Amino acid sequence: MAVACAACHAKGRITIPAQEQSNNFAIEVSHLKKVYGDLVAVDDISFAVKKGEIFAFLGPNGAGKTTTVEMIESIRQPTVGSIKLLGRDIKNQFNEIKEKIGILPQEFHSFERLTVRETLIYFSNLYKKKADIEEIIQFLDLTSYKNMLYRNLSGGLKQRVGVAISLVNDPEIIFLDEPTTGLDPKARREVWGVIAGLRKKGKTVFLTTHYMEEAEFLADHIAVIFKGKIIAEGTLEDLIRNYGKSSILHIKKCKNATDVIEMLKQEGYDEVSSDGNGDIAIKIDYKERVLEILSHLRHDCIEYESIDIRRSNLEEVFLRLTGSKLTEEKQ
Amino acid sequence: MNLKIIWMDFIYSIKGWYRSRGGMFWSLAFPVILILLFGAIFSGVGSTKYTLYVQDQDQTEMSNLFNTTLNATKLFNINIVKSDVNVTSYIKEKNIKSLIVIPKGFEQTIKNSFVNPSATVNLSFYFDPSEQTTTQVTRSVISSILQEMNKNLSKGRTIIGVHEISTITENFNFIDFFLPGMIGFTIMQGAIYGSIERNTKYRKDGILRKLLTTPITRTEWILAKMLFMMFLAALTTALITIIGILVFGMTVNINPLVIIILIATSFLFSGMGMLIGRFVKEEETADTAAGAISFPMMFLAGTFFPLEQMPQFLQTIAHVLPLYYVNEALRNSMIYMNQTESLINGAVVIIFAAVFFISGVLLTKWKED
Repeated sequence: MAVACAACHAKGRITIPAQEQSNNFAIEVSHLKKVYGDLVAVDDISFAVKKGEIFAFLGPNGAGKTTTVEMIESIRQPTVGSIKLLGRDIKNQFNEIKEKIGILPQEFHSFERLTVRETLIYFSNLYKKKADIEEIIQFLDLTSYKNMLYRNLSGGLKQRVGVAISLVNDPEIIFLDEPTTGLDPKARREVWGVIAGLRKKGKTVFLTTHYMEEAEFLADHIAVIFKGKIIAEGTLEDLIRNYGKSSILHIKKCKNATDVIEMLKQEGYDEVSSDGNGDIAIKIDYKERVLEILSHLRHDCIEYESIDIRRSNLEEVFLRLTGSKLTEEKQ
Repeated sequence: MNLKIIWMDFIYSIKGWYRSRGGMFWSLAFPVILILLFGAIFSGVGSTKYTLYVQDQDQTEMSNLFNTTLNATKLFNINIVKSDVNVTSYIKEKNIKSLIVIPKGFEQTIKNSFVNPSATVNLSFYFDPSEQTTTQVTRSVISSILQEMNKNLSKGRTIIGVHEISTITENFNFIDFFLPGMIGFTIMQGAIYGSIERNTKYRKDGILRKLLTTPITRTEWILAKMLFMMFLAALTTALITIIGILVFGMTVNINPLVIIILIATSFLFSGMGMLIGRFVKEEETADTAAGAISFPMMFLAGTFFPLEQMPQFLQTIAHVLPLYYVNEALRNSMIYMNQTESLINGAVVIIFAAVFFISGVLLTKWKED
């Protein structure tokens, strides 16, 4: 049976035996397309999510993330394409699949006048399979808030309750659509902690986000979506290796910085910059060059306070792929 | 269909509603305030002078004494009825609420009582039970006067008593007209706004999207919400009816037909709310739209004022408004006891309910585009 493999989609199509496919993949999306009039919101995308991994669907607002995830969740009807969850086609088997998935929709607000505990019980009662509510409360660190009304919770707590709701049926796949949007950095970190904990529980997490650091921190596998198309995917390392520019070596508080810059340029380092206060940044293409630079510094007895190497990040990957910054794309 | 899910959703809806002060106010306190306010304005509660008719058949010094004492209380506008008039038909004809008859032989019986301790005489007090305040005031004044007279005449032995007669009148009061209208209006408001909340706020908050991905079916969800609407309708009806009975002394008839009309009304206006929520997607705008539709309907459908008081063209408009038929059906069944008329109007309500609810369910977009 020929299916498009997510990891290989950018490079072509491969064939996966049906058995392996249903065993290994939690989500399989093939040639998915969504058209609104003249607008192609999602343009023929294919990918697969392995069981037990955190899959980040990264892209700016309006890239087609939510449209895609809502098609996978059967909330929207695809124009074309097929979607399988746990080996089952959602077109005709979504009712059975519902019991096995948990969803946190984008900008979700639950019933305002139910307490956290009541909210969880409410949603739990909708399913046949039920997880232990008290355990979920503990896992999400909501014990002190369980008797508070949902409306009185902070944004971060509301999102944690949202994640908790998505766990009430002990699902195999959890969809989190922009779970940290609008949260302060502390609350965002707390939610990240929870999501990382889901991986430990063996859950498959499909995470949509426009925060690259979120994808970097959490994801086992990242797909970058831009203008409805997946423009790159792989592990963080894959993406940086394939699409990242280089690493930057920083020399802090360097004496004779002007001479050092001159010397490096003569040695063939084209991209050297200084902030005028003795800090120098040098673009390096491969790790051996670090040693080269260090030996030059040593040879010329150059004094400096410290050095560090910063590797390329997703922001740079995104910039290289799209010509625009991910953050600039935010509305 | 999972009845457990329906019941659970219903119970949680009640919890949420109970905790919402605004929701409680709109569904309970608002109708209570309105009914007390309008009831007081139009039923004369709170006025200090009551109209009392007196027919003196005795025309003696003693009957005069009673009349003078009654006048001296300054509580009544006293109208004298000629002694040869038949009071029963007079009361019906003039729609009289309180009337006292001093019987012929009043003074003579009192005189006789000095020699014959068993001789007693009764005044007749005709009263309208629906005019509770007037009746109570008049009754207590008469009782005080007679107590005083009895004390002076016989050191406390009852010589002069009162025979109370209820005036069975076909003329209904404003409150009789108003109470069923208030029930219909309150159910309409609750159903329309509740429906709009579910179709706009729940959509914006992602609750509908979330529910679409859970095993609850659309039918279970709608039935659970309708169960809650019917609970509110029952509560509203009970509350307004109790006030009608206790405060305004009304006679209200609750029968199976009334219950069917109330259920149909809940479905009717829930459907209307769904349609408003379908076409006006923003919550605030939808609320304004709901107000723009329900408030004129409230006035035009004869909730507060009888249709006959309105110009002909407004009466014509009223006949296409669903609330008019709700009001008429409830009024005829609960107050006027005209079940045939109620059945006809109730049938129109059921047809409206079917049309609005079915089109509401069919046209509501559950999934996203």
